[in-house]
Amino acid sequence: MGVIGRKAVGSRDLIARFLTHAALVFAAAVIGLPFLWMLTTALKSPAEVYIFPPVWWPSELRLDNFATAWRSAPFGRFYVNSIVTATSGVALEIAVAALSAYAFARIKFRYRDQLFIVLLAAMMIPGQVALIPNYVVLKHLGWINTYRGIVIPHVSSVFGAFLLRQYFLTIPESLYDAAEIDGMGHFKTLFFIALPLARPVVGTLALYLFISKWNSYLWPLIVTNTQNMRTLPVGLAMLRQAEYAIGPEHLMAASIFVLVPVLVVFFIAQKQLIEGIAAGAVKG
Amino acid sequence: MKAMRYLLLIALILALPVGLWAAGSREAQASGPVKIVYWRSLTGVAGEAQDELVKRFNASQDRVIVEAQFQGAYAELNQKLLAGLAAGAVPDVVLLDSPFVALFAKDGVLAPLDAFVRSDRSGFKLADFIPGLLQDGYHENKLYALPFMRSTPLLYYNREMFREAGLPDRAPRTWDEFRDFSRRLTVVSGGETTRFGAAFTTSTTTAHWYFQAAVYAYGGLVSDEKFNVKLTEAPALAAATLWQDMVFKDKTAFGSLDPHTEFLNRRVGMVFGSTGSMGNLFSRATFPVAAGFMPGQVKNLVPVGGAVLAVTSTDKNRQAAAWEFIKYMTNADSQAYLVPRTGYMPNSQSSINHPEVVAYFSQYPERKVAIDQLVHTRPQASVISLGKGTELLRQLVEKLLVGNVAPARALAEAKADLEKEYNETYK
Amino acid sequence: MAKRAQLVHGSADKTRKRLSSREKRDAAAFIGFTFPNFLLLGVFVFWPIIYSLYLSFFRWNMIAPRKTFIGLANYRTMIGDAVFWQSMRNTLVLAAAVVVVKIGIALFLATLLNRKMRMRGAYRAIIFSPTFTTSVAIAMVWGWIFDPNFGLLRVFINAVGLRSPNWLGDVQWALPAIIIVVIWSGVGYDMVIFLAGLTNISQEYYDAAQVDGATPWQCFWRITVPLLSPTTFFLTIVSVIGALKAFDIVAIMTEGGPLNSTNVIVYYIYQNAFQWFKTGYASALAVVLFAIIMIITLAQTRLSKRWVHY
Repeated sequence: MGVIGRKAVGSRDLIARFLTHAALVFAAAVIGLPFLWMLTTALKSPAEVYIFPPVWWPSELRLDNFATAWRSAPFGRFYVNSIVTATSGVALEIAVAALSAYAFARIKFRYRDQLFIVLLAAMMIPGQVALIPNYVVLKHLGWINTYRGIVIPHVSSVFGAFLLRQYFLTIPESLYDAAEIDGMGHFKTLFFIALPLARPVVGTLALYLFISKWNSYLWPLIVTNTQNMRTLPVGLAMLRQAEYAIGPEHLMAASIFVLVPVLVVFFIAQKQLIEGIAAGAVKG
Repeated sequence: MKAMRYLLLIALILALPVGLWAAGSREAQASGPVKIVYWRSLTGVAGEAQDELVKRFNASQDRVIVEAQFQGAYAELNQKLLAGLAAGAVPDVVLLDSPFVALFAKDGVLAPLDAFVRSDRSGFKLADFIPGLLQDGYHENKLYALPFMRSTPLLYYNREMFREAGLPDRAPRTWDEFRDFSRRLTVVSGGETTRFGAAFTTSTTTAHWYFQAAVYAYGGLVSDEKFNVKLTEAPALAAATLWQDMVFKDKTAFGSLDPHTEFLNRRVGMVFGSTGSMGNLFSRATFPVAAGFMPGQVKNLVPVGGAVLAVTSTDKNRQAAAWEFIKYMTNADSQAYLVPRTGYMPNSQSSINHPEVVAYFSQYPERKVAIDQLVHTRPQASVISLGKGTELLRQLVEKLLVGNVAPARALAEAKADLEKEYNETYK
Repeated sequence: MAKRAQLVHGSADKTRKRLSSREKRDAAAFIGFTFPNFLLLGVFVFWPIIYSLYLSFFRWNMIAPRKTFIGLANYRTMIGDAVFWQSMRNTLVLAAAVVVVKIGIALFLATLLNRKMRMRGAYRAIIFSPTFTTSVAIAMVWGWIFDPNFGLLRVFINAVGLRSPNWLGDVQWALPAIIIVVIWSGVGYDMVIFLAGLTNISQEYYDAAQVDGATPWQCFWRITVPLLSPTTFFLTIVSVIGALKAFDIVAIMTEGGPLNSTNVIVYYIYQNAFQWFKTGYASALAVVLFAIIMIITLAQTRLSKRWVHY
């Protein structure tokens, strides 16, 4: 290519890069604005909440909105409950998922394909359908209003098992054979060969599971009876009630302290997590 | 065997959480005071007041200990009660939205209270309760609930807007006047309505309630005690037509899920609310608010709402403890604590005469409407006690105010649905 | 594996013996490995379906001591139930819109981000962040954004000279509003999964294509899309199921209204079971939903064999 040609490519490249950034800035703005709106509303006085066109930044920061929202329910306790149930749920579900994913990917069994369809079928059943029967089962186990009751019904794994199985299938046969020659059983192969290789996938899975457990709303609502067992979404949803409505500024403030810890964790961990996936994928 | 090792591992995995969370929330029932559980609803001042009363009850005696457990809004509490009943795990006392007494009593969920009333030696007088408020605690001539936080629908208006519009400082007396006031409060600028005269609620909890009030005012009924649905009769048609005309012909009102917020934002001049909303609306508004009767037309009559206390335990010992508790919660001293803080109506003659209640109403004469309206109440329509009753009436209101369905048709559909619902429930 | 066994242990007879003992060992291992999962699934997922099927033949309000057997009456009711049909339609509209629009946007954003560039991490993190956001909180802030009088959205709508609809109060606009929220909250997750899929595609393909004079557009359709198909398939399944299970956002933002314009099937089941005490009818609805999801899944699995390039 000549000098002129290279220059033309360069300027075209520049335009492309500009357009790319423009599109991404727009997307980020669309995603980010609701969060900003949440924040500024949470800092407003009632008078400034109800103004149109809206005030972008409140003239006087009403930090007491947070105090009011915090006092309206035992949010500290909700935090503890959410953290305990979400993390233990993730750990258990990953264990369950890894075991069955490995079995479906690597262990020969006559009814394996049929069982895999059964497994996939389970993914299709909406949890809401199981609400009443599950409650009855838990009652018999004596698990109502316990962490177990919140967690255990939702640690069976289909999505995770499916995802990990896909990954285990991509691990070269030679690695498994080598493990076998080294005299490793299935259990050791899973723990020392397959899982370490799948670390990025397990990371994504843990992240995903954590999100869904942290956010789950209907089941914890049903299965807990006392304030000291409730999780954050349940506590937050209970703040908004027609007859005794607290203002949007308080709802937004409460939403923020439900969100902030997870968002902080996310922004610290996201780089490792997301890039871990990429790195692992290239290696695999 | 290999398989054994795997099973061991699995047992370990399953045992982990059990060990981790062994400290469950189950409690041993020892001798000594009877521990009972009370499921309450409502947040804000109404919630705090219940907790305070429970605390006072526990301090007042040493035979019964009550644990109050907040269960969310009325609908959520009902939902949890159902799930609990299905699983055989119920509390001892529940706060129930009054129309649901019949629904739960019908299936034997609530303990009848008549025997306790008869054998009570503490000077408890059933006759002290306001008859209109006690009435819906009955189902088939048995008493199942005592009135606790009772309310009636009221009309709230923005006094500032009334003054600006040249309206008198009082609530409209008839629905026709309500329509006229609404027209005069409406402001249109640049082709856009910037202020409406009124907003009707379409929300699940109360939409049916205000519509019932309108039908009562026109001299009709939504349904009688025998579940005959009266929606296709003239009074219901008149009320429905007026509501719809205000929205679609006059364009001075609209249906909203959250009319109180619209009201507090000065977007509307008049809204309906419960006596129980008084504390909230008066304290949050940045303009002077007044409360008045619901508009009349032919009659001044409103359906009474709010919550009652019922006993759900099956064990005799716990039922007796529960009885002690609900007696305390509904007595005049407790009402004297509750009424001034929440705006709810006093439930008995002795609570109306209680010095603290008297003092409260003389300090806030504008809130006295809560007792003035007491004599103009009757229970809600029988169909409300059907599982889907409130929802079918809410759908009716939504069809009228959002869907613009012709009133005669919407009412006929609602009647048919309610009758079907009755047949499914009772036949 | 059999091949290797043969190589290692010469004689065919030995191999056969070894295989059979090995088969037993494998069977035990398989059962052991999958037992916890199937136990949990059995108790908390499959048993409820059987129990729901049983309940669907009864009229029962969950609390009455006796259930009334009514045969197929609940299913007959369903056929004439306009709300059921509406909630089905809403559910399918939601699923279709979410799959097409959300996955499309996610793929577009992923391809934009799939290169070395400034701010890459920041863009990715911001776009992904709603995934982490509790749906209850999402529903609350969007409910406030959609406020027809004081909402943020009105600013932008007025800016282009239009009048803001009464989003959540309008039969025409409430479902689109829900769709917007579902897309907003889910697009980042899809994008990240796509990004992971994209880094898996070897640069060699693109280099080779460039040598052959392919335009970026051609590269996208001929290389990226086919090679990403397992990811797309995975995301489609997850999104469709997510849409069919949509509950929280609807429950908190609209309660299915106005006039059932945002009622979705799971919310309708919930209403029947927990608000109107129609356990039998709710169970029948659940059974139908279950059947529909099964059919979709089987069809998807079949189709995937045709167009997914693993």
